[in-house]
Amino acid sequence: MTRWAMVADLRRCVGCQTCTASCRQANATPPGVQWRRVLDMEVGEYPAVKRAFVPVGCMHCDDPPCMHVCPSTATKKRADGIVTIDYDLCIGCSYCAVACPYQARYKTDRASFAYGKATASEEQGFDPKRLAVATKCTFCADRIDAGLAKGLKPGIDPEATPACVNSCITQTLSFGDVEDPQSNVSQLLAENQTFRMHEELGTGPGFYYIWDKKVEETPS
Amino acid sequence: MKDNFGVNPWHQTNWDFRAAFNFMFGGAGSGLLLIAAFSGIAGNALRAELLLGMALIGAGLISVWFEIGRPLRALNVGFNPHTSWMTRESYAAGLVFALGLAAVWLASQPLAQAAALAVLMFAYCQGRLLQAAKGIPAWRVPALTWLVFTTALAEGAGLFVALAALFDTPARGALAYFSLALIARALAWSIYRSGVSKTAVRAALAVLERSGKILIQFGTIAPLALLLLGLLAPDVARIALLLAGLAALATGWQFKFVLITRAAYNQGFALPHLPVRGTQ
Amino acid sequence: MNAPEKTAALAKSGKRATYCYQCVAGPDLLTVKIVDGVATEVEPNFAACSVHPGGGKVCVKAYGLVQKTYNPNRVLSPMRRTNPKKGRNEDPGFVPISWDEALDTIAAKLRSIMQAGLLDESGYPKVAANFGGGGTPQSYMGTFPAFLAAWGPVDMGFGSGQGVKCTHSEHLYGEFWHRAFTVCPDTPMCNYVISCGANVEASGGVVGVWRHANARERGMKRVQVEPHLSVTGACSAEWVPIRPKTDPAFLYALVHVLLHEAARERLDLPFLKAHTNSPYLVGANGFFLRDAATRKPLLWDLKRKAAVAFDTPGCDPALEGTFSCDAVEIGPDAEVLAQGRLEGSPSFAKLLAHVQPYSPEWAAGICDVPAATMRRIANEFLDHAQVGATIEIEGKTMPYRPVSVALGKTVNNGWGGFECVWARTLLAVLVGGLEVPGGTLGTTVRLNRPLAERLESVTPGPDGFMHYPMNPTDRENWSPRPNIRNAYRSMVPLAANGPWSQALGPTHFSWMFLKETPKGLPTVTLPEVWFVYRTNPAISFWDTKDVSATMARFPFVVAMAYTRDETNHMADILLPDATDLESLQLIRIGGSKYIEQFWEHEGYALRQPVVEAQGEARDFTDIATELARRTGLLEKYNASINHGSAGVPLKGENWDFSLETGSVHGRDAIWNAVCKAASAELTGGKEVHDLAWWKENGLATKPFPHTDWYLFPTLVEQGLRFELPYQERLYRIGKELGNRLHENDMQWWDEQLAEYQTLPVWKDFPGLWEKSLLRMGGKTADFPFWLLTSRSMQYSWGNNVGIQLIKEVADNIAGHRGVIVNAGTAAELGVEDGDTVEIATPLHSVTARAVVRQGIRPDTLLLIGQFSHWVTPFAKDFGVPSMNSLVPMSMALTDATGSGADVVRVSLKRTGGEK
Repeated sequence: MTRWAMVADLRRCVGCQTCTASCRQANATPPGVQWRRVLDMEVGEYPAVKRAFVPVGCMHCDDPPCMHVCPSTATKKRADGIVTIDYDLCIGCSYCAVACPYQARYKTDRASFAYGKATASEEQGFDPKRLAVATKCTFCADRIDAGLAKGLKPGIDPEATPACVNSCITQTLSFGDVEDPQSNVSQLLAENQTFRMHEELGTGPGFYYIWDKKVEETPS
Repeated sequence: MKDNFGVNPWHQTNWDFRAAFNFMFGGAGSGLLLIAAFSGIAGNALRAELLLGMALIGAGLISVWFEIGRPLRALNVGFNPHTSWMTRESYAAGLVFALGLAAVWLASQPLAQAAALAVLMFAYCQGRLLQAAKGIPAWRVPALTWLVFTTALAEGAGLFVALAALFDTPARGALAYFSLALIARALAWSIYRSGVSKTAVRAALAVLERSGKILIQFGTIAPLALLLLGLLAPDVARIALLLAGLAALATGWQFKFVLITRAAYNQGFALPHLPVRGTQ
Repeated sequence: MNAPEKTAALAKSGKRATYCYQCVAGPDLLTVKIVDGVATEVEPNFAACSVHPGGGKVCVKAYGLVQKTYNPNRVLSPMRRTNPKKGRNEDPGFVPISWDEALDTIAAKLRSIMQAGLLDESGYPKVAANFGGGGTPQSYMGTFPAFLAAWGPVDMGFGSGQGVKCTHSEHLYGEFWHRAFTVCPDTPMCNYVISCGANVEASGGVVGVWRHANARERGMKRVQVEPHLSVTGACSAEWVPIRPKTDPAFLYALVHVLLHEAARERLDLPFLKAHTNSPYLVGANGFFLRDAATRKPLLWDLKRKAAVAFDTPGCDPALEGTFSCDAVEIGPDAEVLAQGRLEGSPSFAKLLAHVQPYSPEWAAGICDVPAATMRRIANEFLDHAQVGATIEIEGKTMPYRPVSVALGKTVNNGWGGFECVWARTLLAVLVGGLEVPGGTLGTTVRLNRPLAERLESVTPGPDGFMHYPMNPTDRENWSPRPNIRNAYRSMVPLAANGPWSQALGPTHFSWMFLKETPKGLPTVTLPEVWFVYRTNPAISFWDTKDVSATMARFPFVVAMAYTRDETNHMADILLPDATDLESLQLIRIGGSKYIEQFWEHEGYALRQPVVEAQGEARDFTDIATELARRTGLLEKYNASINHGSAGVPLKGENWDFSLETGSVHGRDAIWNAVCKAASAELTGGKEVHDLAWWKENGLATKPFPHTDWYLFPTLVEQGLRFELPYQERLYRIGKELGNRLHENDMQWWDEQLAEYQTLPVWKDFPGLWEKSLLRMGGKTADFPFWLLTSRSMQYSWGNNVGIQLIKEVADNIAGHRGVIVNAGTAAELGVEDGDTVEIATPLHSVTARAVVRQGIRPDTLLLIGQFSHWVTPFAKDFGVPSMNSLVPMSMALTDATGSGADVVRVSLKRTGGEK
């Protein structure tokens, strides 16, 4: 089986927002709709302060609360772990948005553009199906599927890899199959200490955060 | 405007007063329908109470209909009975309307009682619906289901008592049921309160605390005192009961309005470990 | 007029390769996706991953290029001003005109200047030009440099950010000491970096960020010393919140620990003896003791127990002690100050005595950093230096010193900048870590030549040091009549006299002296024609209100206008040039370039039209050609292109693609020739690729040796030493400059002359800004905060404030929406996050939203970037101020290199609730 997952190495992220900009463009989302977002977090009090940049978005959970609550079955989970939304089914009730503990879902009721009227590039990417329904990160499923069909490897071949990962200038973001022990992401998880966001909620996010390398075990 | 995406939870913006109305009207309507069906009233009185209960439930659902992005696809709400409490709520509502309208048509108490059983399911679904919203710590507390459920009972009973008091002195049995509903709601609040204090953020707790205080003082103690007063002083019984019923209804509504539109802070983000940047 | 040539039809779909060089940390190589003839998406050029040192990735700014192209606020036809009055409150009344009318108007003006003479009565060029962004606009202006070269003298010294927004001291002293226009750690091999305010994660571009992320994961420790916790501070192992402008004291304390607390043999003594001036004997007057006959500096040979010339083979020079020898001491203007039996000490001994008072305990009170912290950092630096270690790269064995010190912008310019740069370079020198693997490196040269060949710029100079193209200070050659208005040739010897020197002088003088020219200089005049491109000094310089008012007096301003902005508000003609994705140019890439751009390849990359130019926007090359034709400069213009002003000489050893000089050549024809010459140059004439090939392939490179990142082997080959720690030459030229100025009764530069020291002393640098406050009529106690700025990765250099996408994503980073205030300070002042606050100097005030954060000193405020736009569409609605409106432009705050710093003392008060 395949389980696509994202790994973010928090040691590397500098909050440059390149992934956010790239995602906005690749997925033609309207202003303010950031399927891939990077938080600027501050922890502690002066002078003992730490600041961290944390990529977030849809975690493509194993047990997605958004899917369970969805009354229209618009939200589904694929066998490869990607959580999808069928824009033709969604009624735009936003139940999924309040069910998601990661604030990953957006609903835009009216068409909105960078400068009021749609520019040529915005017209090109505009999809009326996305109005007034829930939208979120798709892990660029279209790219993955098209890439796989061409025999490419998601997470390795750019054409089959999510736009945010392709754009990441720090190699913070990696994408791959966690079920494949040889994959890039499995290697990263094996070598490093990780956590998942709000793990206590039992959603089983498909998004891992590296915070340190694994401590090498010393022979006793 | 403050930065949108801080580490700290911010209030959800997905559901506003329109969603709150569903829980307010739906709860009161179901509570009313329930007590009406078992209160022993019959004929047109029963018809009126049933119609009012269904009207309230319908108003709540219409209010939500105005909130959803694709109202023309509203029927898709019924596609996920397997896991979605919203679908189940819609089924329960459908059943309530089918049985309720039949009961009205035939002025049938048994049908009214069947509708009342459906309405119990509806009120329960509303509670579970909120509790399944995992992204909102103030909602996902299991005890919220029973708080929403008992609030529906208390609101409906309050409304029933208030309406009855307008015309006559309500029956003892109804008053006893009303008292029990109030006590059950107060108990549910106290259980919910201890649960929510472990999950919700300070800002949410602060508004819940204020709202809960109103629920207890003006929504439990005051109506119970008024009921007692009604028992001891028959001269003012009707006005006391009217006030008691309205207090129970209004405080339930204010609580649910606050719950949806003021206490619904989201999960925010938190790191169990800070990243290690280079050798320390 | 000649219509632009018919160009090849553009692809309606697919991906086209191009580059982004909007900021100095570029270029980034990218592709643009086209759907139905519309540019939709920027992606990294994955084909360039293997040659690009940042994995071929593309900076966030480049993702704004699609919106940049289709921004409805663009100026899309030439415009003429109809309101003769200029000023912030005057509506320019721009009306659309034809290209013919616009170019004819400009050409007529230029021809009249040609007839009357290119210089005015003061000797200044009548034509001035401003290009922003650290030279990056050159990668977008096509062949305009050829037009300027054909024209003759042009004043390019009106500042738009230079001197205050750059690492100015590093530029000048860095080039002087180690051919380092900018300086950085050898990040891929470095293990310990002390970063005084260097904000590499925001300003290092893709390559800087990429290299540091790798280093961090590898375990490199970076200690970030700065008053606020920047994104770089965030990504560092440790944050040291230092008091603003006290970095010299911090660095001096580190030097003190190395020299007075660490065992002497832990320093790289062989390096100090053989590769620096540490052993040179210094006489009583502060100058080197020299051999009377050869005039070579002397050192004391412990083997021979005698003074010998510095280049005597086989000697073991003394670093400490006092020695007596036959010598001559020569001062400024070749004056013999002493001769005969003279006493002298090695400059290293002078250094020891010099830094003796600067202990961590001394610095603690100044910097507000515990002495123990400084001592620990100094020792960590020494522990990590691995003195004595070597490494083999490409078969060459070199010293390996994986420690470095990086300096940020405000640390590195204005008063105190010299001291910081000196101390930083000295720290590297003490452990033998300058220009060696792992250590502190220069990146590129801009004052020395050739610009593209850093190592070739090393030639022998006086006293065993590198040659440096200093502006003259001797009686015969110094002149009080500068070539341009900012007087860099007369006032700043270190600014040299190359194509970049005009921008590296005291560029604010051009603005200041228009009000009042100081005694001794020819009266500073308004330029008769001013060209402006990709720069907005009315926003980006200091004292912007004053700068705006001054530029309103300029009689004829031609602005290449992307959108309306605060500078082109004063323009007479607006010309819409085709923007990044619409125009054509080939540039040199690779080798080593600014910030952290160290490649293992070099070559060329093409920027090509991805989509049709919007409206009437026209390629800059076509604009330049037309201007040349209409001013009768076509031959010279074509000759200049042939000579190489488009980036490559068109004629090489065995190829010649020169343009016929008498004809008008279209854009594609010109760049076709450039493309062929570039490919020929890359392959030694073996391969010639035309424009069509380059459009398809986007770039071509050849290997660039990793060992060429390091200057040290070149110095060793040429038997040259680093001119450190002792600054005899600077001291001498400072004295000479003083003599020249005083001979011409110019006393107004005296404070700056004091900066020319052999070993710089600590001065109360923060106090200089407090004094400036007094001059403005304020009291220190009433203006208790230091207002600083910090670069924003999303905006810096990008000229992209009008791009919605950039604004949107930048706002995710704290501080882009207002002024950052320490949480404790905010609580004391009753300020809550989002409140409106007033930030004021005695002269000016601005309002901002408060952004309450923990990561900033209580005495410091921070305004990221530079906004406060009042014309630029979209940006004018940000409601975020800029410190540029508050920073006074003054002689007193100008250091000897002609730079000032982005610091000002201010007050802060709450004026309202959340906006």
